[in-house]
Formats: sequence, structure tokens, C-alpha cells
Amino acid sequence: MASLFQQSMPSTGPGYSFASAPTHHSSSGPRQHAFYPYTDNGGSTLGISGATFTILAGDTRSTSGYNINSRYAPKLFRIGGDGPENEGARIVLSVVGFAADGNALKERLDTMVKMYRYQHGKEISVHACAQRLSHILYGKRFFPYYVTAILGGLDDEGKGALYSYDPVGSYEREQCRAAGAASSLIMPFLDNQVNLKNQYDPASGEGLEKVMRVPEPLPQETVEQLVRDAFTSAVERHIEVGDGLQMMIITKEGVQETFTPLKKD
Amino acid sequence: MNHFPEAWGRPRDDIYGSYNASYLPQSRGGLQSHHQPTTHTQQPIVTGTSVLALKFSTGVVIAADNLASYGSLARFTDVHRLKPFNKRAVVGFGGDVSDMQYLDRLLNSLDVEENYTSPTGDAKSDDDRALVDAPLMSAKNLHTYLAKVMYKRRTDFNPLWNALLVCGLDEKDQPFLASADLLGTTFSAPSMATGFGAHLAQPLLRRVAPDEAATQELSKEKAVEAIKECMKVLFYRDARSMNEYSVAVIDQSGVELKEDEKLENQSWAFADRIKGYGTQTV
Amino acid sequence: MVGKDCVAIACDLRLGLQALTVSNNFPKIFSYGSQVHLGLTGLATDVSSVSELFRYKVNMYRLREERDISPQTFANLVSSSLYERRFGPWFVSPVVAGINQTDGKPFICGFDSIGCIDFAKDFIVSGTASDQLFGTCEGLWEPNLGPEDLFETISQALLNAVDRDALSGWGAHVYIIEKDKVTKRLLKGRQD
Repeated sequence: MASLFQQSMPSTGPGYSFASAPTHHSSSGPRQHAFYPYTDNGGSTLGISGATFTILAGDTRSTSGYNINSRYAPKLFRIGGDGPENEGARIVLSVVGFAADGNALKERLDTMVKMYRYQHGKEISVHACAQRLSHILYGKRFFPYYVTAILGGLDDEGKGALYSYDPVGSYEREQCRAAGAASSLIMPFLDNQVNLKNQYDPASGEGLEKVMRVPEPLPQETVEQLVRDAFTSAVERHIEVGDGLQMMIITKEGVQETFTPLKKD
Repeated sequence: MNHFPEAWGRPRDDIYGSYNASYLPQSRGGLQSHHQPTTHTQQPIVTGTSVLALKFSTGVVIAADNLASYGSLARFTDVHRLKPFNKRAVVGFGGDVSDMQYLDRLLNSLDVEENYTSPTGDAKSDDDRALVDAPLMSAKNLHTYLAKVMYKRRTDFNPLWNALLVCGLDEKDQPFLASADLLGTTFSAPSMATGFGAHLAQPLLRRVAPDEAATQELSKEKAVEAIKECMKVLFYRDARSMNEYSVAVIDQSGVELKEDEKLENQSWAFADRIKGYGTQTV
Repeated sequence: MVGKDCVAIACDLRLGLQALTVSNNFPKIFSYGSQVHLGLTGLATDVSSVSELFRYKVNMYRLREERDISPQTFANLVSSSLYERRFGPWFVSPVVAGINQTDGKPFICGFDSIGCIDFAKDFIVSGTASDQLFGTCEGLWEPNLGPEDLFETISQALLNAVDRDALSGWGAHVYIIEKDKVTKRLLKGRQD
């Protein structure tokens, strides 16, 4: 919307102007396009996988510059499933960055997952869906979807599966990942609390005797609380994060969605 | 004497021969096959300013003034920027007016297409009756359509330079309000405002309707009053606005559109107290 | 970082020239008198110059006043000295931490490069890893931590933050300041 204010007094409008007389031609090179097709809608997303579940979370604020577009614009989408609300879906996609690209990406992946079911008569596996998402993103390598995506679900063994992406489709399966505006705030906190980075067993002695703590899959309640803590912290220090926290918890029972208000300032 | 100023000071055809355009691309009458990239509208020309809309318990109210500006010139003063689509959807346009007119034509042809199979006279057969009862395109459907048009055009680097508010009733006859802009960005909120209204009116509207729950309690009268008050504030402070505006109310009974409203109870009494940028007190 | 009757200040040890690591033993914390500590991030030449400038100014203060400078007074000295260079600033973002010897209360504050003071009650961060530090500090810090807990908190906050910043790391110095004691600890951290 901010681009609507960048208008200036039109110089090539109707009526004659000496400035616009055709005195120079192709020698000056092609005219540059002033239109920039991207914007940043802010917000942050976060995913953590456990032994039997995956949690995806995102704040619900949508911004453009210093304006708040909406206090409830979800960044989490059910992929696959039935009907307009995608009931019975087992895969969740979160996208943060340019919201219009995020929506287009979601619709393409959702269509593709549904086509897979029609053509193969079975639900797509998360790792196949993850690879396909990578291909969709890379397919627009030279005009990318300006989004950071995180895909969550359960793998063939019923373990939590979490895949994170860059805008051009490079991807990786991980235990936890933060993305978006406050990712730099949240990610080191997650390193410490989920992967137990820089933590040593206190009983293991000193100096070279020290033994690093080994990360293990966390219980669901612990992960939910970590997600809440990560977001309440991010809200304090990042203006583009706030209003509400949407969480989707994927277990073998299906997708459970929760909403918690965050500070609206 | 040649009366075309662009020819003044240039070599005369009768003396020097006609201009040798061979080095120009074919699109400009030359012989060169390497053509320049297609160029598109890269800035709006004739523009409309803010559009405001607010949900209430049974419907939506939307307003926009009747001015189309050419830069800072108030060029056209009777341009109606609220376009009713059917009896439960209205689109409000901010931004470029020619792109608005293009979209309006597009919506008209869409409407014709949607209603083409509907019989005009009495429904005689069961088939005809089924068509008469065929569901009307909802505001939500319309928003999805427009959002995809806008996103397609930005992806082609040929944007429709508008900010749209689509409002009305969704397929369950609940109030619906959402926006789409030249980048294809879409979002929805209890109250929405484009352009300058996002800065000036939205804070006032959010005080009336901070969340969805508040809109359920909001009466039509209160909503219309809030919107009219915001139009007044915008006229006081937005230099590209005017005091004649259109307002539409969409609820179960259909669209009630008024296109020549005037701002009422203006008071410029606040003006003589303003010093500096408004917050200065001494 | 503020605790119960104590404060802590910590820094990493890397000195870099863009992506090139020049030194892995470049402390950024300087002490003035017994309790007042100054952390300086930014342009390394200015870090050295400014730390020396304040050593001079604090020594002059001690000679004139015949007492140690309080953290509050030192903060105002830093602020006015930076603002003196308003249009050709020192490229540093200082942090001050100390305990006021008169009332025994902890004091911390931070500055921008031209001396605007940020009096925080909880923690101050600065440098290339400031975003990461905001995240870890906001997540780990809680009020009224004792000296040992405060040490663990500030150490974890710093180490995990610098591990997510390509331009910081290579070990850390941590100072725990109590009313009559200052403990300095060296952390190894990741050496890559």
C-alpha cells in the first residue's frame, strides 16, 4: 500500500512537454521499470518437532511498513484434506515474508497434494510433499516466491517431521527452526533450549572432562511452553510481531489448532 | 511554419530528407529486430484517495469520496469509486482511476457471465427454477477473483495500480470485508482503510471495532456514523480529498448506495489552535 | 544484565575485518575504578581510542574529586563525551555496568554512537549480534538473580547469541560485579 504514496506529479501525462520530446532513442538503453513486485508483511513463524508430534506456530499480525494491516492474518495453512477448510489434513505449511506469494505458494502446494491423492489413491508422505515444495520454489528460481516456508507433519514411522526452506527451495529436515522478522531473536534461544547448545552436564567435572548435554525429543507440553516463551520474547523486541499466536499441533490424531492473544502494541 | 513544437529546431525533411529511422526497433517504425522490453504503467496518473469500510452486526458499510486527482490537481469531482457488483457485494477502489474503470468493465463482464444462464422471465420448468435459485456470487468469491487478477498482473510486471476493498456478505450471509492491492497482497480485518485512511481513519475505526466480537455488537447506525466521522477527518487532513462522497451499506436487504453525500457539521474550530505539527502547545 | 545486588557484563573476544578474523583475543570490556565497567563494540580503533579517552577522563576525575566515579556519573560523562562528536562520531555503541557505592544499587545503561542513553532495568545489548542477544536475553533473563545464576544466564545468553552471528564469537569474558567483589571469568566457547 505504501507504493501508492510514491506517486509524483506525472511528467509523461497528456499534453506536450519539451522534456518528453523524442530527442533520444534506444541509445539511452531500455527504460527501467519502477515497479517493485515485492513487499514484506513481517511476522515470524516457528516449528519444533518431537517424538510423536510436530508443532508449527506463527504470529497473526500483518504489517506494511509501520502500518498494521490486520491483527488476524494467519500464516499457517493445512495442506491437503477435504472441503474449503481442508478437514482431515495431516500436513501443515507455514509461510512468512511476502504474504501474496505465500498464499500463491500455499494454493499450489495444496492443489498438488490433492492431485496426488486423486492420481495415486493414497495420501502423500511428508517427505514427498517436502521435496515437491522444494521443486515448486526452485521452479521460480529467477522470480522467487519471497517467503521462508516451514513444512510440518509426521513421517512414515509416526515421528515428528519438520522441513525448513529458503525462498528458492533449498531445504533441510530439522528439529527446530524459526523464520521471519524475529528469526534472529528466536533461533539462538531455540538452539539453547531445544538442542541444548552450550550446555554441559554439571556432574561431568571441569575443563576437558566436561560432557555436553545430549538433546532428546521434548514432551509436547514443554515444547508448547517454549513456543509461547519464544513469541512473548519476540513481541517485546520486534515491532512486526504481535497481536496473536496461532499454533498447529500435528499428531497421529490429526491437526489441533490453538490461538493465544499476544500484545497488540 | 510547422506548428508542431516537437519539430522545431529539427532538421527539415525538405532539405535533409526524411528522418532515417532504420536504427530504431520495428515497433517504432525502424528496421532493428532487437526490440525493447514491453513497458507498462509504472505509476498511477489519475488517482482516487482513501476508501474506508467497517463491519457491523448484520453487514458492512463502505465509503469513498468522489474526487479523482491528477497529481495535486483536483481534476474530476464526480467520479464514483464504489462499484456495486450484485446485491451482496460492493468494491471500493483507491489508486489509479483508469485501472479502476478497467476492473469495473471486467466485473461487468463477469457479472454477465455469471447471470447468462439465468432466465429473465418466469421460471417455467424445474430447470429454470433451479437457475433462479442458483447461488449468487458472494463478496468472498468476488474477493478471491479480484485478488487473483491483481496477483497475476503484478506477476506479469503490469500491475493494476489500485488498492481495493471488497465488502458485502459471504456465502453464509455473514458480513465480509477484505482487501487486495497492486501487489496481490490480501488481508481481512473488522475495519479497513486504504491510502491515507490507513493512517488517519483506521485508528478511529479500530476504537469503534477493535475485534470481530465488537462488530457483532455494532449497530448499522453506529457504523455509518463512525465512517462519516472518519470521512470528515480525512477531508480536514488529506489534501487529495473532497467533501462529497459515496457511501454504501450492504446487508441482508441488499445494497443501499448513496453517491452524492455531503460532509455534515464541519467545524474548523480546531484549526486556530494548531501550532507546529499539532502537538506543540506553546 | 542486572541481578539481585549484582550486575554482570560480558563480551566476546573476536576482532574481525569484515569476514576475516584478525584476532581471537580482543576483549571489549574495560574497568574504571573498582566497580564501573564499560563495554565497547564497533570500530576497533575507536574502541581503543575511546577506552583510553575514558581512562584519562576518569583518572582526572579521581585526582580532582579524590574519590571513585559512580556508574551514574560515568554514564553522563560517556554521553556528553560522545555528543561532543555529534557530527563526526566515534563509531562505538557503549554499555556501562556497575554498582553505585553510595546506595549499593546495581546500574546499567547503553548508548548509541552519539550518546543517547538507554537506562534499562533488565539488560543492555550491543554489537553485531544485538538481535540475537535481544532474543536470548529476553528469553532467559528473570528478575532478582543471584550472582551465580546471573553468571549462568548472561553466559548462556551471550554464547548462544554469538554462535548465531558469523561476526562474533571466539570465547568470552564475563564480569560479575557485586558491592565489594568483582569476579572475572573466561569462557572458551566455540572456536570457529
